[in-house]
Amino acid sequence: MIKKLFIFTLLLVFSAASQATSLKAFGGNPTPPPLMLKDLEGKSHSLDANMGKVVLVQFWATYCGPCRKEMPTMNKMIKKLEAQGVPFKILAIDMGESAAEVRKFVDEVKPEFTILLDESGKSIQDWKVFAVPSNFIIDPQGQIRYTLFGGVDWANEELLAKVAALAK
Amino acid sequence: MHNLKVFILMLLLAISSRPVLAVSVNTLEVPDAELEVRKFEADGDRLLLGFPCDEGANAIEEKTAQMLAEDGIEVWMPDMLGAYMLPNLRDSLGEIPDQALLDLIESAVATGKQVYLIASGPYARVLLRAAADWEKTHEQKLAGVVLIFPRLFKGDPEPGKQPQYVDAVGTTKLPIMLLEGGHTPNRWGLTPLRQALSKGGSQVITKVIPQIRGHLFTGKDKNRTEEVVTSQMAGLIKVSLFYIQEFEQ
Repeated sequence: MIKKLFIFTLLLVFSAASQATSLKAFGGNPTPPPLMLKDLEGKSHSLDANMGKVVLVQFWATYCGPCRKEMPTMNKMIKKLEAQGVPFKILAIDMGESAAEVRKFVDEVKPEFTILLDESGKSIQDWKVFAVPSNFIIDPQGQIRYTLFGGVDWANEELLAKVAALAK
Repeated sequence: MHNLKVFILMLLLAISSRPVLAVSVNTLEVPDAELEVRKFEADGDRLLLGFPCDEGANAIEEKTAQMLAEDGIEVWMPDMLGAYMLPNLRDSLGEIPDQALLDLIESAVATGKQVYLIASGPYARVLLRAAADWEKTHEQKLAGVVLIFPRLFKGDPEPGKQPQYVDAVGTTKLPIMLLEGGHTPNRWGLTPLRQALSKGGSQVITKVIPQIRGHLFTGKDKNRTEEVVTSQMAGLIKVSLFYIQEFEQ
């Protein structure tokens, strides 16, 4: 009886762990809303300009604990995918905060990817984002393939394999 | 010396002119339990009924209640979870019996005051359930609802899709005032939430409080704005009641 309970607990723990890092196939309209925003230096970035790459579009905020925790793993993700030759880009959109607030966060956490500002919240509403962090994985043809809500280890091999497979 | 006498006299007058506030703990018989309700009594004709406060656990809530009572708004803080020995978890909220909520509202209505319901975070779902049940079974109207940073999603909202709300959303006709923090993802969902809440016939006003992350009562790492807003929560609630009264006119 105790042995069965132990196995059941292990299964529960492993299933929870795998759910926590799993990308969810997107069942909605795969054509993403337009995305054109400026970074902290005032340079414009668009999703369209990244056709041909796998793109992680992330909506995040400085007040979001999981965002702070996972950003270093996003830096690792870029390096790992680069090493595999996967054309990859991260566009991380801050949810409605000021440039000063975002700059302070960036100085502390040091993300090595594109941070975009959306003080008006237009893209947040266009993309139907109601929780943070919310993630969209776009394939090289510009279609939304996966979504993921919550903080994860983006350098996780299983997750990286799914992202890399989109480039093949 | 004369000045000192005048000062003492004025001080005594000031103390005696302050309303005498009574805080009492009453027990209400509800199905299978005894419910403790902390009452911050006041002479005014408005009563604010909290759902379901964690009795005695939060000094800030108590201070807010005291400030409201000083302004003539009576506040009741029932310990719904404690009455049923439920842990302070989101799942516990569904286990509070409907009849206990109705009995509590009935007791508040029996005072003859205008009864407003107030809740924050996930407790808002209990409040909406109670309001809808009351409307179904009683003719006497409640005055309105104040929701502070309500958390009403059914599960986690899926990126790229319209959010799903708990069943209690959109079931009451009562006017609703909803306060949300500017530094929360929920502020971006106010439009669909307002639409969903309105489906029952409620008039809904939403107000975003800038630079606030939510969890005003429980946050331990408050920024300066959050500290100020927390200390002025009673004022925000009074403004909310004012807006609800405006609805009715």
